[in-house]
Amino acid sequence: MTERTYSALIVDDEELARAVVAEYLAGHPEIQVAASCANGFEAVKAALEFKPDLMFLDIQMPKLDGFEVLELLEVQPTVVFITAYDQHALKAFEVHAVDYLQKPFDADRFNEALVRAKARCDQGATTGPQPSELAAAARSDWPLDRLVVRDGAKVTLIPLAGLEYVQAQDDYVLLKTADKSHLKQQTISSLESRLDPKRFLRIHRSFIIQLDRLARLEQTPSESWIAVLQDGTRLPVSKSGYARLKAVLA
Amino acid sequence: MHPILCSRARLGTYLLGWVPITAVFAFVGLSRHWGLVGSVALAVPSCLAAAFMFLSSWHLCKAFPLQGLTLGGQAVAAWGVAALVVANLWGAVVWALAWGLGRAGLPALPAKVRADMPVLAGMGILLYLITLALHYLLEAVARNREAEAKEAELRLLAQDAELRALRAQLNPHFLFNSLNSISALTTLDPARARSMCILLSDFLRGSLKLGEKRTVALAEEVELLKAYLAIEQIRFGARLQVDWQIAPDVLAIPVPALLLQPLAENAIKHGIAGLTEGGVVRISARREGGAVELKVENPVDPDLEPPQGLGLGLRQVRTRLQLRFGARMRFEAGLQDGVHRVLMVFPEHLAEEVAP
Repeated sequence: MTERTYSALIVDDEELARAVVAEYLAGHPEIQVAASCANGFEAVKAALEFKPDLMFLDIQMPKLDGFEVLELLEVQPTVVFITAYDQHALKAFEVHAVDYLQKPFDADRFNEALVRAKARCDQGATTGPQPSELAAAARSDWPLDRLVVRDGAKVTLIPLAGLEYVQAQDDYVLLKTADKSHLKQQTISSLESRLDPKRFLRIHRSFIIQLDRLARLEQTPSESWIAVLQDGTRLPVSKSGYARLKAVLA
Repeated sequence: MHPILCSRARLGTYLLGWVPITAVFAFVGLSRHWGLVGSVALAVPSCLAAAFMFLSSWHLCKAFPLQGLTLGGQAVAAWGVAALVVANLWGAVVWALAWGLGRAGLPALPAKVRADMPVLAGMGILLYLITLALHYLLEAVARNREAEAKEAELRLLAQDAELRALRAQLNPHFLFNSLNSISALTTLDPARARSMCILLSDFLRGSLKLGEKRTVALAEEVELLKAYLAIEQIRFGARLQVDWQIAPDVLAIPVPALLLQPLAENAIKHGIAGLTEGGVVRISARREGGAVELKVENPVDPDLEPPQGLGLGLRQVRTRLQLRFGARMRFEAGLQDGVHRVLMVFPEHLAEEVAP
């Protein structure tokens, strides 16, 4: 009986750190390294191209961090997180029972993680936590400062300062910037919970606005309220949204 | 230094205080029938003489300092004797002045003044005691101010030491990543693994050593920085380049210890580490008209939202400079054309060097 093979990605911005993983994997012919990636963009591209079974993923990387990479993938590989020292991430891993390696790690510890990862892969079921949940748990101490979206293989970073408003569309959110709209697979409530409440406000079941973009409030003949943004966009304000607005603007 | 004679303004104020006393003296003279001209002519030089003679009470004030609220009998006796002696001396001076005025056209004055000598002696004792009290008051104010200044200085030293201790603490992320690099190099390139161990040791030793000091020569800071950046260059490979612009004549200049390393750490953490292609960290030091100018520059990812306000590391550096130099330093940090720049300017001669 031939053992099945697993395709894998190694993602770390430090070359020597990638080299360690590659060295440990050399003793496991069943693992085929599809690509070695030096940053989050490369990782997303390689993941879309190779659809790997496993991913050895560093958390702190330029452009996109490890959590953001996973957030952008619809099909999640089995992930072994690797970090040097990130207390927040470690707490999140413990809470969600996610396997991780702390640098530096020895071959034994690596093999243990590999055995478990292969087993999870064989079960096929990705019962792990959603990456956005994990990221929220790991980064709960500081407010989000940007959003990442992907259109095909193209990844865009949207700094929150550039966000006009957010509109809910079923399981997606439409992120409106000055010149574009981006679709992201996330519910508006989960996005709302990650935004700084001093800067962003849910004015309606389907809308979140950036407060400093609000120009004025207008009342319609039917006694409901309309938020007019600086660029002229008119958005409905619900009763509870109006109460929240009054509370922050007072 | 005498608390009143030490400044013209104080002496002026003190003499101004004697103007109403002069008026009282003249009024007393009038009531004792010395005549208007005689009273005024005698009051002015007499009071001027008293003003200067009574300044001597400072010596008494120094010899018998007030300690808390306990009054020694010795001090009270000394005050009494001093008041009697000085007041009578002054009485003699007043009489001599009256005699002089008598010769100068007020023949009736000397006899009247002599008859009123007990009144004059009483006034002299009273005024001497008031002046003595004033000296004690000034002494207490000066002591209080000194104590406050000393306390403020101690507080600054404590804060500075605290901040340095924080700096000397290792960044665990840096340490574990470095160890991971060594772990990779042990099989790939054992010689480089060894040299990285040595660089790391140099850096650790250097931070510990500099953490104990308040001031070091810039050359020592630069040495520490070189070890630190050499380690980071092994970690980041070609992504990290360093451009040194250190003028040779600044190396001997004393600077606050562990000032540059946190800035280099920031340049990597918030600059190079966020750039896929990496970039150049530029470290410059030069002298400029009696001041030292230090600069750390690094490119940053243009996609990142610029940080709001200063991060903890920059705030600590700025606070340390403020504690040390107050208004005589300049600290600027900001982003321009994709380059983050921290500029520090402070006097080349560190003021009041305090022993640890």
